[in-house]
Amino acid sequence: MLETIPDKRHQVKRNKEDKKVIWKDKYAIGVEVIDRQHKELFERFNKFLKVVRSEHSMEEKIDDIEETFNFMGEYVIAHFQSEEAVQKKYNFPEYERHHQIHENFKKDVMEFKRKFEEDKYNEELIMEFSGRILTWLINHVTGEDQKISKYINRKEEE
Amino acid sequence: MKATYINPIYIAAREVFQNMFSIELEREDLRVDEKIVPNHVINVSIGITGDLKGTIVFSFPEEMVFNLVEEMAGMEFKEFDTFMASAIGELANIITGNAMSNLSESGYSCNIVPPQITVGLNKSFSTASKQILIIPIQAGNKNFDLYISIKE
Repeated sequence: MLETIPDKRHQVKRNKEDKKVIWKDKYAIGVEVIDRQHKELFERFNKFLKVVRSEHSMEEKIDDIEETFNFMGEYVIAHFQSEEAVQKKYNFPEYERHHQIHENFKKDVMEFKRKFEEDKYNEELIMEFSGRILTWLINHVTGEDQKISKYINRKEEE
Repeated sequence: MKATYINPIYIAAREVFQNMFSIELEREDLRVDEKIVPNHVINVSIGITGDLKGTIVFSFPEEMVFNLVEEMAGMEFKEFDTFMASAIGELANIITGNAMSNLSESGYSCNIVPPQITVGLNKSFSTASKQILIIPIQAGNKNFDLYISIKE
């Protein structure tokens, strides 16, 4: 099972006052392994967001954007695999639908990566992508993923 | 326009606001108009194609958009920019997508077109039907409107 990996590689300079994070405990779905991964995913996305939204010029922050994007992207794939394994273990009836949602999201991320590599200093492209992903992630975790926990809890009560 | 379209759209909005922001939406009395001229500054328009055709416009006050996006991002914003537009556009996109999924249970098969965001008052939107239904919605201490123009 995927575990939380301490972030030792990543050295983005962060503003000391900027301690707020996008993760909120109310997003937890109540399945420990998934919640731990969601927290890690949100922390990685948070790092990406802080770099993207910093007031540095694109030239100054481009390396950090790329590094935090990759750092987040690799975890998205690992987390989706792990979450889908949990769904399979419990015979979650909406597995195929959920898998397709994950696949569409990965396609969206890959499409952004392709455009980003073609046009690295396009700040509008990065802002458009990161704003959309913020809402998508929170909705996915608080909507679709809650269905997994409701199903598992119901099964365990039986 | 059939009232049967309205409930699945409102239910989708209510669920998403409840899940994402822990905000309970309350629907106020429906209004009818002949055109869409939104009351609020930030408007997200989403086209619908397929068995149903038309547009849904989400009309949000600026302060509400700042509150929602700042709550999600855990940071403050100085001005309405591409990031915010994209985040609020995705919110409307998700709600409309869920609404179309609710409507598919009534046998309607529809797709949605990516959101268009406009900023400013007194902007009008072209519509598919001559009758526009307006759902005023209370979201905590803020209000926003849904303009629905759909025909079969």
